[in-house]
Amino acid sequence: MATAGNDPLSQGTAVSQMDDEPIIICRDMNKWFGEFHVLRDINVSVAPQEVVVIIGPSGSGKSTLIRCINRLEEHQEGQIIVNGMEMGHDVRNIAAIRREIGMVFQQFNLFPHLTAMQNITLAPIRVRHRPRAEVEADAMQLLERVGIPEQAHKYPGQLSGGQQQRVAIARALAMEPRIMLFDEPTSALDPEMIKEVLDVMKELAHSFMTLLVVTHEMGFAREVADRVIFMDEGRIVEQGSPDHFFERAQHPRTKLFLSQIL
Amino acid sequence: MAGGQHPRRLERNIAYFEEPPERRPPITEIGALAWVRANLFGSPLDTALTLLGALFLIATFSFLLSWSIGAANWYAIIFNLRLFLVGRVEPFMDLRIAFLFLFIAVLAGVNFAAWSRIRRRLWAILAASLLLLFIIPWLITSAISLPPTWLSAGQREVISGSITISPLQRVAFIAGAGEEVAFRLATPADDAELARLNSFSDGMANTLRNAAANRLAGERRLATVERELAGDRLTDRQRAAREAELERADIPPPVHSAYELGAHPVTLTLRSGDGNAEVISQTVLPGDELRLTLPQDGWYVLEKRVPDSDDSIALLAASGLYPIFDRSFIREGERVFQYVRATDRLLVEGGRPRDAAGADLPMLGIIDHQYRGERPPADFLRLMLAPFLQQLNLGLTLFAAFMAAGYVAAQWLKQRDRQLEMPLKRVRRSAVWLWLVTIPLAFVLIAGFGEGGALRASDPQLWGGLLLTLVLTVVALVVAFPIGILLALGRRSALPVVSAASTLYIEVFRGVPLITLLFMSMLLVQFVLPGLGGPDNAPYRVMVALILFSAAYLAEDVRGGLQSLPPGQAEAARALGLPGWRITLHVTLPQALRAVIPAMVGQFISLFKDTSLVTIVGLIDLTGVANLIASQTEFQGLRRETYIFIAIIYFIFSSVMSNVSRRIEASGSGAARA
Repeated sequence: MATAGNDPLSQGTAVSQMDDEPIIICRDMNKWFGEFHVLRDINVSVAPQEVVVIIGPSGSGKSTLIRCINRLEEHQEGQIIVNGMEMGHDVRNIAAIRREIGMVFQQFNLFPHLTAMQNITLAPIRVRHRPRAEVEADAMQLLERVGIPEQAHKYPGQLSGGQQQRVAIARALAMEPRIMLFDEPTSALDPEMIKEVLDVMKELAHSFMTLLVVTHEMGFAREVADRVIFMDEGRIVEQGSPDHFFERAQHPRTKLFLSQIL
Repeated sequence: MAGGQHPRRLERNIAYFEEPPERRPPITEIGALAWVRANLFGSPLDTALTLLGALFLIATFSFLLSWSIGAANWYAIIFNLRLFLVGRVEPFMDLRIAFLFLFIAVLAGVNFAAWSRIRRRLWAILAASLLLLFIIPWLITSAISLPPTWLSAGQREVISGSITISPLQRVAFIAGAGEEVAFRLATPADDAELARLNSFSDGMANTLRNAAANRLAGERRLATVERELAGDRLTDRQRAAREAELERADIPPPVHSAYELGAHPVTLTLRSGDGNAEVISQTVLPGDELRLTLPQDGWYVLEKRVPDSDDSIALLAASGLYPIFDRSFIREGERVFQYVRATDRLLVEGGRPRDAAGADLPMLGIIDHQYRGERPPADFLRLMLAPFLQQLNLGLTLFAAFMAAGYVAAQWLKQRDRQLEMPLKRVRRSAVWLWLVTIPLAFVLIAGFGEGGALRASDPQLWGGLLLTLVLTVVALVVAFPIGILLALGRRSALPVVSAASTLYIEVFRGVPLITLLFMSMLLVQFVLPGLGGPDNAPYRVMVALILFSAAYLAEDVRGGLQSLPPGQAEAARALGLPGWRITLHVTLPQALRAVIPAMVGQFISLFKDTSLVTIVGLIDLTGVANLIASQTEFQGLRRETYIFIAIIYFIFSSVMSNVSRRIEASGSGAARA
């Protein structure tokens, strides 16, 4: 399984002991919503520090796939193994896996009754039990990293969509995850705000973090992704490096999809 | 392509270099005029409704106003204010309740500082209205003199209709040292003047007044009949009926001359103390006035005789003598008798004067010496409004002063912490802490504990009036609130047993009327909680019913709030690794509660009003006091006055609550979701 990244730096320094060991493995995974077969025989593995972009028409199961990875949805068959731990019914395993994974949602899902700062510090203080002052200093650094330190004490309702999404990214990063899941992070944004969020995501991609991104931003996929996965009707239709995928797609369904959006 | 119109297709750009001037909108579009135009007279239907509404308001208010000034007996409220406010609590409770009252005043001030700002103009208005509370009664009492009390004297009986009455020979009253009393003979020129007699009057004076009024009415009827007979509009049968009426008619002679009112002198003897020491004995001639200054506080007895005629009755206009309320209560195991003067609350304790044989002398009591006749506005101001304001002004001023102190202290704290990042936060946190302290403090102050000392236990049976209403509301609220939240969470729980039990509880208690619950709690609570048996603990049993009842309704409100949250909130919290109870505590519950503030405040207000039902199980809350007063002899039948008064109190508290809820809704802190 190749990690054909376009960033030589991330390739070169990715020398952790688990480099060859995938950090996420989905094996023969199946999921149903009632009678409806949403995910069919999904087999994916993601290497540490790999940037994977999942695309596909709506209803193809791509959001459900990444929501299964941190157990926001439960899969019914097959295995999901994250960082060597299998996702099952063991609550401790779920908690341990979630500790490795941050998630960013389409609708931001910031807590509206808390300020940006409180949104970021809530989990580190309450879950990791770290001292408040230390967490707040870290949060401030994160806000600087996403470019909005001056908005720290505003409530989500007072921020623009792009700023909210950046706060949401900072909130996920505050738990120091090794994997970040992005569920259509720019779909609810005005065009001029999409760029500021994508810039933050690009910066993350270049900082040795494992990213799984569901998006319709083909430019982002082309520029940043190590691998592009195309899904349709609950199954993986085609995957490959961006160059290969966008230029020489093989499956007719992929070709049709690309011809419609490019 | 006429002038001013643009060509459909432009050959080249048209640029506008001249800037149109900025002007004010037309006068009809701004300010009060625009508001009136838009909201009151917007359309013909609107105009009609406005006029109809205005007519209705004018009719209602003019009726209410003329009734409350001219006829209503507000003594029922003025004399029972304590009963209305705290019920029959022991006297040692006064200080504790006053302390609590002022503590809440300080708290209110801190709250104002923490969550809103009182503008300088508002302070000025507040101070001015408090000042008016002192000035208005002072102006009234110094500008308007008290009306006289009409007393009768004489030996003969007076008959009016079916009533036969003889004058009291002696009557006892209370007065203070240095007060001036004056007596003069009333010499009504005719019956019309006699019929217009108003103010406090004894039974005889009132009978004379009624007799004169009846005779005048009879005369008017006769005049009408005679005029009809003189005309030619009547049928034969009508004519016969009128003639029979004329024959039957028996108009008595004019009352004022029949009883020789004011024609004969009256000998007055005034004795002090228990009726032995003579202060003065003098004969008052028609046209004369007897004036004297009283030597001491306490009881006086007035003897009145018409010495030279057995046929005459005298009417005395007495100033300085006013009706008395008498009451008795148990104080520290002994029955205490109190006599309170109606006009200024002069108070005498102990027994009342007796005659030589040891029998009680008749007293200038409020029951026999009520205010009769139409009451002019001046008497309303002097007898009703001024005393009422005098009772309120001190308490309200103290409340305002302590509130201002709390406000200033909190403002000072804000100023001091100005350099901190969020100076308001500390003030707000301390305000919340103060509220949390208030509830146990209030409980200790009201219920007390132990046998002796300043905080000794009070008898719950004696709690009443507004105090009981508020105690029941606040306790039910504070205890029901967490139970309601737990029930709401329980009903949404994934565990079927928990959710079924919560649902069962909620549905059962929402399906039973509160009155039924109250009766059941009075009888059943002691089986579950044996400590709450017995008549002493009735208020606690009622609290249990109110708590169980409102918890069910609050649970439904909170559940509504939880359901209204987008599922993404809990998902985001789960994705962050927060355990379930922390998601509830930090993410979903705070938002749900904020979303249902209006519904919960509605629930609180209806709970506050529903406490009036405890009257039915024998507790004397605000509504119970209104009933209790209407059953006292001296205030018999004064239900209209008492109910209007408690309605105003209920309304004030409810509107304060809904006002606070509007403020919470409008206040920033994340209330508006993006």
